[in-house]
Amino acid sequence: MLVREKARAAEPTAGPVAGRAAKVWMTRTRRTDLMAGAVLSVLAFAGLFPYLFMLAASVKDNEQFYESYWAPAWPIRLGNYAVAWEQVSPYLFTSFVVAGFAIVGTLALASAAAFVFARYRFPGRNLLFGLVAALLMVPAVTSLIPLFVLMRDLDILDTRLVLIIPHITGNTVFGIVIMRTYMAQIPEEIFEAARVDGAGGIRMFVSLMMPLARPVVGTVALVTVLGVWNDYFWPLLTVQTDEFRTIPAGLAFFANQNVQQWGPLFAGYTLASLPLLLMFTFLSKWFLAGIQGGIVSGK
Amino acid sequence: MIGRKAPPGRRRIPWGVYLVLLPTFAALAVFAYYPALSGMLHSLYEWRPGFASPFVGLENYVTMLGDDLWWASFRNIGIIFVWAVTLMWVFPLLAAELVMSLSSERLRFVFRTLLILPLAFPAVVNVLLWQFMYDPRDGVVNSLLRAVGLDGLASNWIGDPDTALTALMTVGFPWVASLPFLVFLSALQNVPAEIYQAAEVDGAGRLRRLWSIDLPMMLRDVKLLLVMAVIAVLQYGMQAHIMTKGGPDNATQVPVLRMLDAAFLDTDWGYAAALGTVLFVLTLVVSVGALLAGRKGGRNARA
Repeated sequence: MLVREKARAAEPTAGPVAGRAAKVWMTRTRRTDLMAGAVLSVLAFAGLFPYLFMLAASVKDNEQFYESYWAPAWPIRLGNYAVAWEQVSPYLFTSFVVAGFAIVGTLALASAAAFVFARYRFPGRNLLFGLVAALLMVPAVTSLIPLFVLMRDLDILDTRLVLIIPHITGNTVFGIVIMRTYMAQIPEEIFEAARVDGAGGIRMFVSLMMPLARPVVGTVALVTVLGVWNDYFWPLLTVQTDEFRTIPAGLAFFANQNVQQWGPLFAGYTLASLPLLLMFTFLSKWFLAGIQGGIVSGK
Repeated sequence: MIGRKAPPGRRRIPWGVYLVLLPTFAALAVFAYYPALSGMLHSLYEWRPGFASPFVGLENYVTMLGDDLWWASFRNIGIIFVWAVTLMWVFPLLAAELVMSLSSERLRFVFRTLLILPLAFPAVVNVLLWQFMYDPRDGVVNSLLRAVGLDGLASNWIGDPDTALTALMTVGFPWVASLPFLVFLSALQNVPAEIYQAAEVDGAGRLRRLWSIDLPMMLRDVKLLLVMAVIAVLQYGMQAHIMTKGGPDNATQVPVLRMLDAAFLDTDWGYAAALGTVLFVLTLVVSVGALLAGRKGGRNARA
């Protein structure tokens, strides 16, 4: 630690103005670290507290919950998870199905369109792209009522399909906008070389553009999954069959079914969180890009 | 834009591109453009899906002007907005500044990860957990108050019209796991080290640095966050629906819930469409306004 600080102090970019004693800097650095670390620890703990409480309470039975409210209790009741799994797993399954089909549908509709917008010149290009981008301005709540009526007229209320479609259209709009930006930045020389080799548009899209666009494809996929895990009103309004509920509406229903069954209740919340937690752990870069998606499209 | 550059004179129209775009636009036409336009159109009707819907002109909008609940819901999101761009930014800003003042890269990474970890949980889980925190009998807030001997302060936070809205807005405290934090943090990371060094040479203190360097450097991002906050607050609804259903006594009524009630409780679909259209127009005004202001600002900055 000391060595590192000394090394930092020697660096002109991180250290103080040359000439000042390294020792003064060192103690000041350490004091700042301690104070900042203390405040940050409090903030981090406050933010994580509900989740820590959830984890601790998810392995207690009701007796343990009331007896050792604040502290973890022994023995742990993993049975709560079995009880919760029974009720939450259909929601998880539906969420995966909806997210999977939504990703496939979004990529099918968005990636080729983005490629065309990014790398071809044709009459009406700007107008058509403007039409797509204009949909970014239409908030989801505005379309909620008329879209519901449309789905009712199409007679697909209370199916999984009715959940999938809005995610495909919404993410297609977003996907076209960010994929086009990304694809337009890829150097033209790569495509020039392929063209010399006699590759056509389809060939270039499939074997050149899609592999190169993998990061932005990942972002679009992540945004789609986040959307499914956060869209509350649409599944609430359009499906009644319990197993067709995705996580948000399903979990709210689950909470009402398990009032004061604290162990299973919190176990269910934990199970519902696991997929996003895993994605955050293993795909954190894309995950954060997904959350910042709004900013990306805003710029 | 980097397009395929054909030499002028022998540019051919690549007809294939329209074929590629056709399915995309067909899907958007049915499930995006049509609903949006249908909502606006039907706001002028007494919309009874499946039945004859008479044209009523602006009647739904006139009804809206006299709808006290609708205006109360705007008062509420006004309060939520002010809260969202003050308190809900102060903590993330503080956290971002503190993270950046840590000396070791590893500490920064650890704290950044811990601070944003709550983002990895579904929003609905966050809301349901806070609903539990406010539980009058078994919730964390009241248990904590009782544990420190303040039994008298324990109350039914989301069941009392006086505290319900504040309780709702406190969900997610201290709001560090949020987009503003990520934005502030990356803005601070982008401040060139030379500027800080220069400030140090000039003897600028920590607060002076925040005021004269960090905040101006973030101005662009703050503007963007401001616009996003307006748009988000116009769509605010999930938390209120789960925790209070707009109650008690409409203390947490918000436009989205009012719109849904109009459609699904009062089966007044035309009126709901009118309310949705108003939300759309407001969003549009804010977005376009920000876009124009941003463009103007950018030009001035460059000049």
